[in-house]
Amino acid sequence: MTPPATAAPAMSPNAVPQDSQANVDILSVVTRGASWQWKGLLALALLGVAQAMAMLAYQTYEGLGIAGYQAPVFWAVYIVLFVFWIGIGHAGTLISAILFLFRAKWRNAINRGAEAMTVFAVLTAALFPLIHIGRLWKFYFLIPYPNQRGLWVNFKSPLVWDVFAVNTYMTISIVFFYVGLVPDFAIARDRTTGVRKFFYSLLALGWQGKSSQWKAHNRTVLHLSGLATPLVLSVHSVISWDFAMSIVPGWHTTIFAPYFVAGAVFGGFAMVLVVMIPVRRIYGLEAYITDYHLDNMSRFILLTSTICGYAYAMEYFIAWYSGVEFEQTAFWLRAFGPYWFSTWCMIIFNAALPQLLWFKKLRTNVPFLFVLCVLINIGMWFERYVIIISSLSREYIPAAWGLYIPSFAELSILAGSFCWFSMFFLLFLKGGPIIAIYEIKELIIHERAHGGAH
Amino acid sequence: MPTLVSIFDKPGDVVTVITKLKKRGFNDIESYSPAPFPEIDDALDPKPSLVRVFTLIGCLTGVVTGFAMQIWMSLDWPTKIAGKAFASIPPYVIIGFELTILFGGLLTFLGMLLTGGLYPRFGTDEHYSPRFSAEEFGVVVSCGDRDVAEVDALLRAQSAKEVSLVQ
Repeated sequence: MTPPATAAPAMSPNAVPQDSQANVDILSVVTRGASWQWKGLLALALLGVAQAMAMLAYQTYEGLGIAGYQAPVFWAVYIVLFVFWIGIGHAGTLISAILFLFRAKWRNAINRGAEAMTVFAVLTAALFPLIHIGRLWKFYFLIPYPNQRGLWVNFKSPLVWDVFAVNTYMTISIVFFYVGLVPDFAIARDRTTGVRKFFYSLLALGWQGKSSQWKAHNRTVLHLSGLATPLVLSVHSVISWDFAMSIVPGWHTTIFAPYFVAGAVFGGFAMVLVVMIPVRRIYGLEAYITDYHLDNMSRFILLTSTICGYAYAMEYFIAWYSGVEFEQTAFWLRAFGPYWFSTWCMIIFNAALPQLLWFKKLRTNVPFLFVLCVLINIGMWFERYVIIISSLSREYIPAAWGLYIPSFAELSILAGSFCWFSMFFLLFLKGGPIIAIYEIKELIIHERAHGGAH
Repeated sequence: MPTLVSIFDKPGDVVTVITKLKKRGFNDIESYSPAPFPEIDDALDPKPSLVRVFTLIGCLTGVVTGFAMQIWMSLDWPTKIAGKAFASIPPYVIIGFELTILFGGLLTFLGMLLTGGLYPRFGTDEHYSPRFSAEEFGVVVSCGDRDVAEVDALLRAQSAKEVSLVQ
């Protein structure tokens, strides 16, 4: 780094000032050469994506018959994955928008990673409605566009609401993510050379930290947070209405919207930890993502897990209390029918195990948190599996009951979706700062100016 | 016109120095900051950012577009669905809401680009320094030839680390 050419270099004895430690530490994740672990993981991820794409091509050619769809279950693993990945995204928006509005400064260390995760999770989720419809090339039927048949989409259908909700969520998440990245791209621009400098210059949009720029930026972040907060609550609500608007036993309940939103935040926070714990360890970012952050994240997980546990209990209670035989049967069969395994995974991993986080020792025990969060993600996947599959396979008439088992094609695409998400995340690690540098600096400078009195 | 480039460590000093400079009638000031400190931005220009107007226009456009689109499309080919009115408002609130957020968010972003003068480009201001994307603050003042000494003294009095004169 060189001092400014115009500001006479000989003015002070230390004319080449130290670069900010935060710049050095966090940018080194991007600029240091790719390690063999990173390359290996990326290779694995690409392999997974390639096999899923091959399977998708085969499925597209052959038809949805090769997916495990069996009457009466025609919403299966693809829809489970859609709901799962959209849910994962919610933690990012919660951390970056809602905690911003609450001025919870501890979010500064994790918000970038969580926002990146949101964008990549939504990009993953958005594929699944297309994969699920089978005829990929007809997806645009979902969008209202003028056509020679004079037809429009049915705006009273939750599936159409879904299209608007998910696309809005995807767009706003990407905009939010990029707005936050602009000042950090400028930091990277000032410290790189060659091709990297070229791209960072373009991406930084001429950012120089001028007061007019910060003023516009602050206002934009505030407004985007204000817009994203109701948006994030609406998105999973709309997705829950895909189910709740029907009359399938186990789906047709008013608790679905808050239940889905809490579950989404819960699963998303767990995924943030699953992703950030290894990043923090491998790139030595313990000074930025501290035990304090893990503790706060764990508290959120504990809270949302309790809400989920309450919702599970309430679903069973209402099924019993309603006196509706179909509801009662549906819920009895969830716990003791053919899908008992998924149901107990969901209850144990999501509602029971996270209660261990009442202990402070465990909230900051990194290996424990990592394992717990992996289990929570499995549990959340099974939650959607239970809701979708067990309800559809046990509708009103026992003669129409069926049994669904995921096919090889579905499992291959399931694995591919995790690889697709990981691929984006790994590439981002080498493309942009994984911790919002300027927000960390805000804290550092503030602390220095006030002698660490805060 | 002579320009003084000064470097500070603390945002509080920057605020004080800008306030004092403006009080003395020096208005050609630019500040560079490594992190958001709204007090600096307000000291330079107390007016709230115009981004608000963009958000408002975006949201209003979105909600009108959302409802107008659904109502017009439903009436363009009227189909009775679930015994409801052809254009029934309650289910349309959802897409109306989503488009409010979508348009509002996109126009807010556009507002940031326009009011912040942000567009893809190479190179930076003449007096910009990578030090301002480390942890230092820059205040750049242009003034008349005979005011240089005064501005220089004013900057140094407010614990400027460095002040350099550029013609």
